Amino acid sequence: MELTIANFVQIVIACLLIIALMVGNAVIMVYIERKAAGFIQRRPGPYEVGPRGTIQAICDSMKLLGKQLFIPGNVDWLLYFLAPVMAFLPVLLLFLPIPFGKYLVALKVDDGILLILAFAGLGVISNILAGWASNNKYGLLGAARAVAQSVAYEIPMIMALLAVVFMAGSLNLSEIVERQGTWPWQWNIVFQPLACFIYFVSLVGETNRAPFDLPEAESELTAGFHTEYSGMGFALFFLSEYANMLLVSFVCATFFLGGYKGPILDGFWWTFIKAYAVMCLIVWLRWTFPRVRFDQLLNINWKWLLPLSILNLWVTAIVLKFIE
Amino acid sequence: MIKAIIDNLKGLYSLLVGLSITGRFFVSPQKTTHYPRQVDDPECLKSYRGPLELVPADDTGQSKCISCQMCVRACPGHCLTVTKGDKGKAPKVYLYDFTLCCLCAACVESCPTGAIRFSHKVYLVAPSREALHLDLLADLLARAPNPPQPKAEAEAEGEGNQVLAAPVTGEAPA
Repeated sequence: MELTIANFVQIVIACLLIIALMVGNAVIMVYIERKAAGFIQRRPGPYEVGPRGTIQAICDSMKLLGKQLFIPGNVDWLLYFLAPVMAFLPVLLLFLPIPFGKYLVALKVDDGILLILAFAGLGVISNILAGWASNNKYGLLGAARAVAQSVAYEIPMIMALLAVVFMAGSLNLSEIVERQGTWPWQWNIVFQPLACFIYFVSLVGETNRAPFDLPEAESELTAGFHTEYSGMGFALFFLSEYANMLLVSFVCATFFLGGYKGPILDGFWWTFIKAYAVMCLIVWLRWTFPRVRFDQLLNINWKWLLPLSILNLWVTAIVLKFIE
Repeated sequence: MIKAIIDNLKGLYSLLVGLSITGRFFVSPQKTTHYPRQVDDPECLKSYRGPLELVPADDTGQSKCISCQMCVRACPGHCLTVTKGDKGKAPKVYLYDFTLCCLCAACVESCPTGAIRFSHKVYLVAPSREALHLDLLADLLARAPNPPQPKAEAEAEGEGNQVLAAPVTGEAPA
């Protein structure tokens, strides 16, 4: 793809829209998450600020904006300030190749999933930097856990996606959606249920969400790698966490749930409905299951998900070969 | 190996059970009382231990306290100050520092006449610590401003610790 002015303008507009989406998503998801937590625990959740607590998240973000940026002693301040920015910026790039609708793609690239998987790895580097730079034992422990977890969970995730890529014969996300049909039984979740399951478990691990939220386990590590961050530093981590959740949900919707295709009328609304359904499922998981121990976390990955994903890939390859 | 696989499949099933439980809780009605707009049923507060209050005597409406200092000695937090009045056994001063009280009921149990009990003031708030230094005699006076008349239906309360279980005589928590 050559870089023309039209393309450049398109990408800039797309980036602005994606930032708006990320911020709006964080606000909406904080509200949904707190409400869901409340309902599951049979309490109302945020209720007082605005009608039924709807502007609680906005007020909280305003509070974060107004807070002092506290810098603890003996921090490596360059890395300390670089880490939240590094957590936030790659996510922006990751949304570019996602096909929200048939024509609603910011960057039409032939190997979009490669771009996503490659740059998703940058997120964990920001976690390491944050934990290392903040000169805090909890931060460092959280960072160490983040590394072990992310390295482990990226492999079955990629394997699961690779099975779908085998079927579609393309790394292009739009192409993968086009290969799926309109109705739910024509989606990849039917043909690749194991891959979908593995991907779903891995995405929970990859985004550091409960029950796999070891890097920020608040009851053991206070807040893990972002223990020392306050104000906007914390807000950027928070934003990127929710943006990462949204991203993996979009990828899940694209790969396994038929993307923008759906009954009655295809369109971007189906992508959003499916992605937010996945998000709600992640939230539901968080408030249902207790946090796993670290050895359990790695056992699930290395002893179950990885062999199963390799098996799945192998079977997929053989079946595809025979069908040809 | 096969056992491990079966165990893990059972584990997966238990995850679904967990999700169904939280899902059921999600749609079931909430238990929260939205405090300023709703208040709890006073029936639920019968066993609530609020700050102490003096029990009015059935006939006179005055305090039953005989200034024996048993409560003052029993209190582990030293939050009570009782001074005997000039004539008779009735106290002149009965001060109660709620900031020090741990609501242990040692005073209530030690009182030989059953003169103190826990109130049910669940919504008590104060703007400062000093506002929680309560004068229980003034409180008793404020609760029964009218000249008292003998209540026929009220039973005589013997032991001090029965007061806790005894129903509050016709007064709502403030």
